[in-house]
Amino acid sequence: MYYVINLLVYGAVDAMACLGLSQQFGIAGVTNFGFIIFQAVGAYTAAILSMPPDTANGGFQSYLGGWSLPFPLPWIGAAAAGALLALPFTFLVGRRLRGDFAAVGLLVTAVLVNLLVTDYRPLLNGDAGLAIVPSPLQGEFSPTSTGYQWAYVAAAVALAGGVYWFVRRITESPYGRTLRAMRDNDRIADSIGKNLLSLRTGMLVAGGAIAGLSGGVLVGFINTWSPAAWTYAETIVLFAAVIIGGLGNHRGAVLGAVLVPLAFEEGSRFIPNSQNLPPNLIPSLQWVAIGLLIVAFLWLRPQGLLPERKRVIAVPARSAAEPPASRPAEPAVSRPIAAAAGHADVLQAVDVSRDFGGVHAVSGVSLAVRRGTLTGLIGPNGAGKSTLLALLAGTDRPSAGKILYQGQDISGMPAFRRARIGLIRTFQLASEFKRLTVLENLLTAAPGNRGDSFRGAVAGRRYWRGDESAAISRAEAVLGRFGLTDLANSYAGDLSGGQRRLVEIMRALMAEPAVLLLDEPMAGVHPELARRIGTALTGLCSEGMTILMVEHELAIMDEFCDPVVVMAEGSVLAQGTMAELRERAEVVEAYLVG
Amino acid sequence: MSIFLASVGFGLITSAVLAIAAIGFTLQFGVTDVLNLAFAAVMTAGAFVAYWLNQSGVSVWIGLVAAMAACSLLSVLLNLVVYTPFQRRGSSPITLVIVSLGMALIIEFGIEAQVGGIDVSYSLGQGRTFQAGGLVLTTVQLVIIGISVAVMAGVHVMLRYSRLGKAMRATAANRTLARNCGIRTSRVIALTWALTGALCGLAGTVFAIDIGSFGPTSSDLFLVLILAAVFLGGPGHAYGAMLGAAVIGIATEVSAAFITPDYKYVIAFVALLAMLAVRPTGLLGARA
Repeated sequence: MYYVINLLVYGAVDAMACLGLSQQFGIAGVTNFGFIIFQAVGAYTAAILSMPPDTANGGFQSYLGGWSLPFPLPWIGAAAAGALLALPFTFLVGRRLRGDFAAVGLLVTAVLVNLLVTDYRPLLNGDAGLAIVPSPLQGEFSPTSTGYQWAYVAAAVALAGGVYWFVRRITESPYGRTLRAMRDNDRIADSIGKNLLSLRTGMLVAGGAIAGLSGGVLVGFINTWSPAAWTYAETIVLFAAVIIGGLGNHRGAVLGAVLVPLAFEEGSRFIPNSQNLPPNLIPSLQWVAIGLLIVAFLWLRPQGLLPERKRVIAVPARSAAEPPASRPAEPAVSRPIAAAAGHADVLQAVDVSRDFGGVHAVSGVSLAVRRGTLTGLIGPNGAGKSTLLALLAGTDRPSAGKILYQGQDISGMPAFRRARIGLIRTFQLASEFKRLTVLENLLTAAPGNRGDSFRGAVAGRRYWRGDESAAISRAEAVLGRFGLTDLANSYAGDLSGGQRRLVEIMRALMAEPAVLLLDEPMAGVHPELARRIGTALTGLCSEGMTILMVEHELAIMDEFCDPVVVMAEGSVLAQGTMAELRERAEVVEAYLVG
Repeated sequence: MSIFLASVGFGLITSAVLAIAAIGFTLQFGVTDVLNLAFAAVMTAGAFVAYWLNQSGVSVWIGLVAAMAACSLLSVLLNLVVYTPFQRRGSSPITLVIVSLGMALIIEFGIEAQVGGIDVSYSLGQGRTFQAGGLVLTTVQLVIIGISVAVMAGVHVMLRYSRLGKAMRATAANRTLARNCGIRTSRVIALTWALTGALCGLAGTVFAIDIGSFGPTSSDLFLVLILAAVFLGGPGHAYGAMLGAAVIGIATEVSAAFITPDYKYVIAFVALLAMLAVRPTGLLGARA
């Protein structure tokens, strides 16, 4: 009986930890290889909050704190400590650092923190760890009684249930959708106005609190905590659980918790310890098995036992015969711009340069994009078109010069902020959120959804339902306009190349841009479709949107763009209508020679 | 003063061992694009190959050559059977890092299942002791430093002048472009695994010689030093790894002498995190 109770408490603790990791890694794509130190800090915090000063019990162990605080303060403190521990790591998960490098940083941190706590005894009693950690309410009840133990099981399972409810509430909200989008492609999420640093910090803090709480619950039950309980390899066990259970599926995380940490670590006690076996054999083989499981699952069944389920949103069927023109103003109206006389040039580059090492990709470019135009940008490969676009959108920073938007200097503004004030870009390579449906891809970009924040997500569906259904009907209108309604609930990753380009354009429109920067939107698209895109873009410009488009196809330029800017070797060569440009020898030469 | 010099002496040896490993790691990552966290586990495998031979009466130095061959083979297999299939399927870099961690567990604890959890050491005479000022080094330590210098010179000459070295640099810079220029990138990558694997076996054996007694998990913390050296110099940059190894090796040993040996890894750790935060491309790196 004692063993069953033991298993249940461990199971609940592991489930909590796996849910926290599932939220961080499976949903948000934050690879926290240091996850176990968050559980450790929770356990230590709960311990030193509940223990008497270290002079008690003859002072055989030394530690900080020792405040003898009553239940439930140690558990609350454990969660708070886990959350606080996340803050110093936020610098690792910002926009600039590759995810695998950040993961290495966290892994090394986990190794080193364990080493420090092991070697520095005054802090938390070093290698020996803390013992005789009080159980919750042990003054009032007897922790050894069966009733108390079952109550502990109930409390642990209830907390695990609460954690499940919490992560589900976050995941199934617009905020959760944004997290999944960031997981699939963080650069694109950045370009449609998502603050990656704040999203990842939110996940580190929430996951840290969950891990801390799990540590607190565990230490109250087993009454000891030492560095051997939280080596970096324990994190790998949790990763194995989440991968095997199913990435992006919280039920999978719970299943993984039952299968891996519980069955492997606890269940192996049932293996009879034969006299013939060397003492270290079973634990070593356990680790080998964990490694094999991880590699085998990532190869054979990367989606895990319970795969992430598709979020289908019902779209009312609309007859294909209905002409898109019948709902003219509805889709993606550009946001109103104060018609101040001085800002006819809505977007300007002033003497902008960008060097890569010794290469002058863009040098001394000055350019003004007039409101309401569909401006084309052409030039031979390596002319600096995409770099200029990146400088305008904030994906990259100029080495010299200024970017002005509506007359305001935005040179130092990060990309996601520019997106929020209406400056949206697309990318040269097709870039969709693969494991989001087409409709979800569009919804992610809709600005001003109250549910698209941590607080909004916690507040619940009732709080954001209104914004969500408004966004859905806008998305449906955009889908109708581009004729993709039938694919609304297909995964974007399963579409053809041309369809994915459309998704990207539609998503950019959902962000309500005032200025849209398109990088070869028609590349690899059927000419028929390209013409339809061109017509749609012209229509948007007449509604007040401004578009700057990089394109190689001169026929497209002829038909839709006015004016057209020609770049070569990092500089603006000429500007005018296509007819005017054809007259100019240097332009023709740049294209023919380049 | 003599403590300082003695610790610099230790630092030189650590740097020498570290340089071999860091060069191997950084070339592996730069050319093959796999952040292979199983590197230290493969080192351990090499150290044990040398140990088993040593046990049956063979000299450690011959064992060292066998370790290089074994790790070279193991690395090529690791790439062929595990990493390349994942890469070909288009797995993300982070998936490969997790896979490499899984492989690290398999190799490391596979060895532990075989040998048990006890530490072993080579039977090897330390040779004469040399003294210059306060600097005290044994013959074996001098040999290790010599090997390391030879590796650095060899890697320099190879990258600079040999066809393979140039092909490796081209593959590291842009794999698709290199392939389009007629470089057989898959062969270059296989050769890179063979070469860096040999460096890994070499590093594992001299590491085991240096620390005296070692076990299946001894190299875990050494991986932290390798990563620190690699990231300090800039991942993928061989010269950066040499510089990083020199700085990290000497800094850890000097801090061990003057602060306390328990915390000697802290310097490496701080250096690594600082580089990740401020300049992830490393001191010598410009490429993002």
